[in-house]
Amino acid sequence: MKRANLIILIIFSTLLLTACVGKREINDLALVMAVGIDKGSEDGKIKVTVQVSRPGDARGQTGAPTGQSGETTWNVEAEGESIFEAIRNLTGVASRRVFWAHNFIIVINEEVAKEGIGDIVDFFTRNPELRMRTLVALTPDKASELTSTITSLEVTPGEALSKLFRYTNISTLAPYTEITDLLAAYLSESSEPLLARVSLKERKIDGLKPEEGAKRKQVELSGAGVFENDKLVGILQADELQGIILFRDNINSGVVVVSCPKEKNNNISVELNKQKFEVKPTYKNEEVGFNAKLDASVTVVEAGCSFSISNKDDVEQLEKAVEAKLREDINKSIEKIQKEYKTDVLELGKVFQNKYPYEWRKVKKDWKNSFSAADINLTIHASVDSGSLLFQPTISGKEERKEK
Amino acid sequence: MKVQITNGMLMALIINMLYAKSIGMTQGIMAREVKGDIWISTFFSTFQGLLIIALIVIVMRRIPEGDLIDQFHQILGKFPGKFVAISVFVFFIGAYGSIMATFVYHLRDYFLPEAPTVLFILAAFLIGIYAIHFGIEVVARMALIGVFSILALNILLMLGSLSNFDIKELLPVFQSGFTETVWASRHHNTDYAMTAMMVCMILPLVRDKQTWMKSSTAGMFYGGMIIVMWPILEAGVLTADVTAQYIVSCMQMARSAEIGLFIHRYEMVMVAFFALSILTQIIMTFLCSAIAVQKLFGLKDYRPVIIPVGIVLSITCYWLVKDHHRAMRFIEGPWVLLSIGTVVGLVVILWLSGFVFRKKWKTNHEVKQ
Repeated sequence: MKRANLIILIIFSTLLLTACVGKREINDLALVMAVGIDKGSEDGKIKVTVQVSRPGDARGQTGAPTGQSGETTWNVEAEGESIFEAIRNLTGVASRRVFWAHNFIIVINEEVAKEGIGDIVDFFTRNPELRMRTLVALTPDKASELTSTITSLEVTPGEALSKLFRYTNISTLAPYTEITDLLAAYLSESSEPLLARVSLKERKIDGLKPEEGAKRKQVELSGAGVFENDKLVGILQADELQGIILFRDNINSGVVVVSCPKEKNNNISVELNKQKFEVKPTYKNEEVGFNAKLDASVTVVEAGCSFSISNKDDVEQLEKAVEAKLREDINKSIEKIQKEYKTDVLELGKVFQNKYPYEWRKVKKDWKNSFSAADINLTIHASVDSGSLLFQPTISGKEERKEK
Repeated sequence: MKVQITNGMLMALIINMLYAKSIGMTQGIMAREVKGDIWISTFFSTFQGLLIIALIVIVMRRIPEGDLIDQFHQILGKFPGKFVAISVFVFFIGAYGSIMATFVYHLRDYFLPEAPTVLFILAAFLIGIYAIHFGIEVVARMALIGVFSILALNILLMLGSLSNFDIKELLPVFQSGFTETVWASRHHNTDYAMTAMMVCMILPLVRDKQTWMKSSTAGMFYGGMIIVMWPILEAGVLTADVTAQYIVSCMQMARSAEIGLFIHRYEMVMVAFFALSILTQIIMTFLCSAIAVQKLFGLKDYRPVIIPVGIVLSITCYWLVKDHHRAMRFIEGPWVLLSIGTVVGLVVILWLSGFVFRKKWKTNHEVKQ
């Protein structure tokens, strides 16, 4: 009996020996590092550019080629009537199987985004290989060019692009947008997507021809794209973003440049260290409103004039100047979003719904208009609590002697 | 001597039996109904699960050496006992369908899209028949390790996703209404029903009868608390809309988790740690189905029917899970009615019959003893 059972077990077990079905050898894979999506050469077609890492050439710390072809990545494009078809068409030129799991970023051309990115969101969130934390960005340039540009300090352009975003929580030049956030905003009944924007700018100085100045293009964080449903409806430049990101994310830093308290021709730069931002909705006479409050701790990081945090008058004047500048910047951005684009990328619908769930049912049908008409009152309190390392103002010893 | 398990093993079996399907597939289904209130629905369900398990223990204490089928046999007679055996077998065919949907859609959709469905069905079949051949004690010991792996998964997931947690996504509470939130808990109740039915079949094997109530309710309570972390994180990190979008939302959660720059994509971590839970579900379903068929035919041991029972379960579930739409429609619809109806119906009938036929079963019980 035992022998019979053993034989049956062995027979059944052999059914599991299916030649390692679904196996993928690493040297058969084309590891995608970045994807660019542009319009195709014909109407209705889409062009997909993939940047594939060449591990043999991407070795080493400096990116210096160690043999082979000398190129660290292999960039290739294909067209199709859908993203999937374009990718399938890539198999005609790729000797390896395209593998998405290590993709750092998806870059979408703005012309494509204006026509709608619903299919892009669907494709990349349906795909089991792709990470849900893959970055997504827009570009006014050709996505194929941007993803293929050797940029920054990294060996692989895709990696360089992703690392540009690593410190967006202190730079606020672009929001940090991942595919999961894009999907959540797209599916939401109130919020709209806000996508990071990158562009090519002549920033790099050629070491062999420094006299020519910055002539080589590099990728730069350049603000954000504002969406309504899945269509791009507007652009926020990098300097307009600080106030907007406050509504969406926790940001650790920010820079404000104001005139010196006494010498108006010179500037003083402060860094916003800790920012506590709170939004409370109001609903009076069937009108939606929001009270936003920002408490910021400020550190003086650069003074083009005589300034010491021990001088209370100077500190008070500086605080007022910082508050006024922040209020002006944030209000300008909010107004652009509310009046010009009329799309809730500030996630205020969610805030309102949380406080007034019953009223939300009435308001949500016409949220676009309610949002654009909403009164947003901004209260800002800035407190200068540090002058970094310095206690005394940095002024020339000769000037000091004259004063004495 | 009859094989027995400890009360701790019972708790471990309950937790494992509850876990694997509840954290993903069930949450996705509930999110499609009540959005961000899935965590409240999960709490409601835990409360209902505690009530039914308490009732089961009260009912089973009447004839502590008999499982649900034996109890019906002794209280209502031979044919009601046979009918209950068939009902339990049908129940576990349905349960196996929902378990296999969880098993196959986790592994095939996320790891081996090219692998044929039959491979997963066959793997589950072989593991199931092999494990129950050795009896419940071996499975219960495995379940104890399963609890540790479940806790490890929960902790890792919490570490990897708390930084993206947004409390705003959980608010406002009862956004779909109180009644709807309670009603949505029926989907999670199917997981409790599966566990409750398992308890009905194995409770007589638990050694210390004095602590049945304590260990059963504690198992349900701890299981519920371990599970509730998932809907809270799924709603707060992924958002309810994204959770509702997917068949297996816990895998989306795992795909979104990351610790630092280098530990991301938890799919493999997740499958590794929840494997014991899903295997416990598979094995216990095989065992309970085999016991039901053994009782149906009046056999002395369940082992001769292991393979036929396994083949019936596997063929039915292969047909079910081959089509995603068919499987999801079954789990969202008929399975709710079948599972809750069977468990609540049988337990309540048994409870009430116990009062009506008090003399009969007491006499039978005394004669047997």
